[in-house]
Amino acid sequence: MRMSEILIKNANVCDPAQGINCETMDLCIRDGKIVESVSESAEVIDAAGRLTMAGGFDGHTHSAGKINVGRFMNPNDARRTLVPGLSGPEARTEKTRAQVGYNTPNTYAIGYRYAKLGYTTICEAAIPMLAARHTHEEFKEIPILDKMGLSLFGSNWQVMEYVRDKEPEKLAAYVAWGLKASRGYGVKIVNAGGGEAWGWGKNVSGLYDPVPNFDVTPAEILMGLVEANEKLQLPHSVHVHCNNLGKPGNYETTIETMKMFEKVKPTVDRQALHVTHVQFNAYAGTSWRDFETGAPMVADYLNGANHLTFDLGQVIFGPAVTMTADGPVEYANSRMLHEKWSNQDIELEDASGVVPLSYSPKSFINAVQWAIGIELALLVEDPWKIMFTTDSPNGGSFVNYPEAFTYLMSAKKREQVISGFGKMALDRMVLPGLDRELSFYELAIMTRSMQSKMYSRPEKGNLKVGSDADVAIYDIITSDIDPSVEHEKVKQAFSGAAYTLKDGNVVVKDGKIEATPMGRTYWVNAKVPADIDSAMNKDTDIKFKKYYTVSKSNYMVEDSYLPNPVEIRTEGAF
Amino acid sequence: MQVVKLSLKKANKIPIEADTVTPDNFAGKTKEEIEAILVWYGNGQCPLGDFFTVEVEGSDSAENTKIVFEGDVSRVKRIGQGMSAGEIEINGNVDMHCGFGMKGGKIVINGDADSWLGCEMKGGEIILNGNATYYVGSGYRGESCGMRGGKITINGNAKDYLGEHMCGGEILVTGNVGLLPAISNNGGTIVIEGNATMPASEMKNGTVIIKGEISDMLPSYKEDGTEEVEGITYRKFVGDVNAGGKGMLLVK
Repeated sequence: MRMSEILIKNANVCDPAQGINCETMDLCIRDGKIVESVSESAEVIDAAGRLTMAGGFDGHTHSAGKINVGRFMNPNDARRTLVPGLSGPEARTEKTRAQVGYNTPNTYAIGYRYAKLGYTTICEAAIPMLAARHTHEEFKEIPILDKMGLSLFGSNWQVMEYVRDKEPEKLAAYVAWGLKASRGYGVKIVNAGGGEAWGWGKNVSGLYDPVPNFDVTPAEILMGLVEANEKLQLPHSVHVHCNNLGKPGNYETTIETMKMFEKVKPTVDRQALHVTHVQFNAYAGTSWRDFETGAPMVADYLNGANHLTFDLGQVIFGPAVTMTADGPVEYANSRMLHEKWSNQDIELEDASGVVPLSYSPKSFINAVQWAIGIELALLVEDPWKIMFTTDSPNGGSFVNYPEAFTYLMSAKKREQVISGFGKMALDRMVLPGLDRELSFYELAIMTRSMQSKMYSRPEKGNLKVGSDADVAIYDIITSDIDPSVEHEKVKQAFSGAAYTLKDGNVVVKDGKIEATPMGRTYWVNAKVPADIDSAMNKDTDIKFKKYYTVSKSNYMVEDSYLPNPVEIRTEGAF
Repeated sequence: MQVVKLSLKKANKIPIEADTVTPDNFAGKTKEEIEAILVWYGNGQCPLGDFFTVEVEGSDSAENTKIVFEGDVSRVKRIGQGMSAGEIEINGNVDMHCGFGMKGGKIVINGDADSWLGCEMKGGEIILNGNATYYVGSGYRGESCGMRGGKITINGNAKDYLGEHMCGGEILVTGNVGLLPAISNNGGTIVIEGNATMPASEMKNGTVIIKGEISDMLPSYKEDGTEEVEGITYRKFVGDVNAGGKGMLLVK
């Protein structure tokens, strides 16, 4: 990192972590960190009163790993130019490599385009541990951004056996070992038990439906893993994709799952549970015929609960690519929509699938899905519980974030979209009755500030002294703009930051890439007592000898896969 | 009427991507202006005049502009890509993607054409007086819709995957075709006067007429009486049942 000083003058700072709501001030940066003051010789950037936030933090995106299956299933995605400046083919320049794609851009484009939106950190939502090497190979080629990834544990044989045999300490040791083996940051659970059931062409129907051959239920898997998560004092809570995703009536399972975690006592100052892409899990009705929004019920529960965070999984109209470890859901999608289908078996660990699809405002189901994401954001009162996502590219590509921000900030914009819906769609949603419009302050919370605590990364998502100098300056004068009316301007400004700084380096200027430094990769090394660790290793030795197609020594991701690692050590409470 | 004659100065090994060579782009332009039009050559762009001798007679609108390639252009790709009017005549063989996405006008090729002829064509006409290669009138990789309109006539043979993912328009082949013509098509008409192998697999909609012999007729078609087209009675098959298709496959 270069030794340098920067003074950002006249920044209209919106930093909810410090309670600063669009106040004009100067920001000082030295050696990649925010500091109190800088010397006379500091380089000056004149923000000219424009909106300034910490760098954005996308805590749930599919940007490395499975996205590659999406790429080879959708070669036509390379030429899609649906969002000008942020999609489609772009020739290489002196500063940037060639770019293609929309939902499944090449790795370089992912880095550049997030940076153009003012984002500086991403979290890959699902690393199958057996394929972790590939995820890190892609991380290596995503420029600018800091990265982390969540490792999949929800349908893992060893996990289910330890849960069944009531061996919480060995389970914690296995989770710690898995995170180290995959260089992962946290525990992801996708349709607990469902991935294993899918190996037999089945699914689990809810929290108490036993997993074939393992004699455990999804509820037991969830509770076992959260106990391990807290025993290890991991920086992130368990990150849960609920059972029954994408099925009418699933909001009940979602609330039931959330309730189950009320009794969990986090050992780190953060939430006990993160529930992801809740839009896909907030469906009411009993079939696709009487399908309707379940957002009011879910939001009602969330408003009274303080132990969890969630993200939206907002739908964007147009082509998307669904990619998930939820194998049975993808099979159902492909049959229902007559779409291409890719399915993968991750040996003893999980399943996965990829299906491209297109959301249309003319389909009442898609229209209601679109509304549910926004309803959740507007009906849940406390923005500190909400992370903004499209579950990119499941609900739509991240390059549409600026468009989606206008849905949250402008009732007029929503009316425009809603006016294209049929009567049936309108009857099944509550969105037309909602007039709440989010402020820049609330938007900042959902796109960067809340992630800081959610992932225990105090140096991210805020502009406090000592934090990373990841800064986004947008071409918006907050006192002169009414986002409710001038939503097009808001979208424009968020689509290409006036400046994005990463660790104090200007990486974007006037919406163009200026520099492409290599970001960090965070991973968690959790300490486990040696005797428990060696007992656990005896069990996994058998797994590798009997079942895996690779040997244990070839399974671990080596240090050379992480050119810029940040190892987060935790002590554990055994 | 404007006539533009292009003759290759020297046979090129590295392909030229001539997607800018269309009547729309040439109409009303002088010799110098046409010579300055850029084409891709390897990883860089070069003026057309570097490769071709350009002769221009007259000046007119796109509809009244004709481009004539004198001689073989078998390493020149994407001629007439996206053209909407006018005519292109190629007196020799042509490389891949000729007439890609064309919307109108006419291309006449007096020679053979490489793969992807008239791929994603929406309108206009292509007449090939020679043999075609793979994927005539098909879709871009990964797309669910290929040719949507217009007509391709092949006075010769074609290789595999003719009309793949075709959604509309017409293809006529006077000779034989290779494997899997009309695969995954969803509309349009394909007439093959010669022989074909495994036609119309996964057809959802559309009409395929095979006048010659069929090798490996797919078992996933239901016979449904006969159909008369232009005075000839064919056995009528409906399918592809595997894809829930309602396409019509007519065979002798």
